[in-house]
Amino acid sequence: MPTRHLVVGGGTAGLNAIRTIREEEFGNGASPSEITLVSAERPYSRMVLPYYLGGTIAESHVFTATPASLAAWNVKTMLGRRAASLDAISRTLTLDDGVRVEYDDCLIATGSRAAKPPIPGVNGPGVHCFWTLDEARAVIAGVTPGSRVVMVGAGFIAFTILNAVLARGATLAIVEVAPRILPRMVDAACAEIVARWLEQHGVTLRTGATLTKIEDVRGQRKLHFKKGDPLQADVVIMATGIRANLEWLADSKIDLAGDAQGGILVDDHLRASVGSVYAAGDVARGRNLVTGAAEIHAIEPTAQEHGRVVGANMAGRDVGYRGSLLMNIVEVCHLDIASFGQWDDASADVYTAVRPERSQYRKLLFHDGRLTGAMICGPAADIWTTNDVGMLKGLVYSGVDLSQWKRHLQANPFDVKPAFLATRTTARLLPETVLGRPCNSPELPHSVVVK
Amino acid sequence: MQTGTFQPSKSVIRVSPFEGYTSYAPYTCTQCAEGWCMTACPVGAIQINAAGAKDVVDDTCVGCKLCTIACPYGTMFYDPDSQKAYKCNLCGGAPACADACPTQAITFEEGVPADWLGGFAETRTVRLLHGNGDGRRDLARSEVV
Repeated sequence: MPTRHLVVGGGTAGLNAIRTIREEEFGNGASPSEITLVSAERPYSRMVLPYYLGGTIAESHVFTATPASLAAWNVKTMLGRRAASLDAISRTLTLDDGVRVEYDDCLIATGSRAAKPPIPGVNGPGVHCFWTLDEARAVIAGVTPGSRVVMVGAGFIAFTILNAVLARGATLAIVEVAPRILPRMVDAACAEIVARWLEQHGVTLRTGATLTKIEDVRGQRKLHFKKGDPLQADVVIMATGIRANLEWLADSKIDLAGDAQGGILVDDHLRASVGSVYAAGDVARGRNLVTGAAEIHAIEPTAQEHGRVVGANMAGRDVGYRGSLLMNIVEVCHLDIASFGQWDDASADVYTAVRPERSQYRKLLFHDGRLTGAMICGPAADIWTTNDVGMLKGLVYSGVDLSQWKRHLQANPFDVKPAFLATRTTARLLPETVLGRPCNSPELPHSVVVK
Repeated sequence: MQTGTFQPSKSVIRVSPFEGYTSYAPYTCTQCAEGWCMTACPVGAIQINAAGAKDVVDDTCVGCKLCTIACPYGTMFYDPDSQKAYKCNLCGGAPACADACPTQAITFEEGVPADWLGGFAETRTVRLLHGNGDGRRDLARSEVV
């Protein structure tokens, strides 16, 4: 009987696992296993929803798999249904409609959902999150030229849709409870540059603002705050964080690292604490590449790498995972902002440089000779004349010894390129592959999407 | 070639000057085995072309820049005008750079991805890091001018 793989969740982690299982089987000539995908939604990429909102792509562009493409990959699909409970002893998943699915091994990749603070009015009309495709559709229907949009939360998610809201012809105000914007992606100095840039581009910012109530007044929203005047809005977008979808595992005996918010603790093969169960993406508390600590990295690149590593292991390979590198990039009004690794580390040697007249900022963080974190900010027109964005990733990822360059980089934090080249970082990186094999098997389709 | 404009700042080959602009080294995509850009793309917009190079399919790329932070070599770029990512695709097998180079410093041949510049850069930055005996330090600036 062929091995029965069960993938719970049709996001980035789940689909990468499926594709990798098929790649591995194709590569080693094994007879195909049985793959079942359970997914509450039809698979699409959340990463590209902001571009759908901005009107630069059609809705059809967001899907990462179709019923036809999944059939071509010989995947049995159970779409529109949610996992309700898992019995790891009998290896059975129960769905919300009571159907039971038996498996030989199982990947939990149920991702996360938007979280809203318990404030009166957050579930009222005209108040949306922006996380799922359905939520994106609602925001698209609500935001029209001249709409007054208030975004609650000035984090990464809010910033990914900022351009799109403006592109729809809306006016935008962002309110944030923290004393500054992007509190979990950049430091205070960088946030200051970004804030000034946004204000120059017509975005209203209010930081240190605690929302107390959203009132519906004759079809319009009125936001009340602990201090300061209320704000009027046609549409409110709540970008107040995400929450991992783990509640359904409460009785599963899987180690959720303390509580339902902790994440599924995984080992270096992304195995959970019970037999034949893997976890990947936003629900997995796995190894941080730089520190070795077990953390949730709810970012797309981690979901992708987790998914591929699990897929290879499910297919019978023995693939350990080095760990994931925390990283983010976002562009607002043609200003690029990116951070890598441990950018907020008071115990590091920290070198920064600012070119205020050009809105440029750099930050390098070292432990001895190793770059453990980095930040880069500047106008797109400047950033992309350099190789620096990727090179900073390469230096942090490779952990190459920069001892000889530390003094030069302290004096010239913008001058990373000669350091990257002369320390032979390229040679260090070239043998590195996530799965211990090249990805470039031309005979294999890269995407599960059948065009 | 990749952006359809004559604009050195948009070139997929970035030339680094060393030792006070007395020597130069061109740097571009190695077409690495991992294909970080390709595996990172959420919509499968980076594929392997007939020349074996990773190539951005413009109609599919949404411009999210994930590939630019996934590539650890710094050879994925973003064009603010087209709002798409772009990279060296070996011009589909007939690289314009090799044709254009007047000193044949760039040649196109079959090979294994390698660190073509590390040794050169290492020797050409010795004086930058350690001075050249008279206490003077050379400048190495990486920006394309």
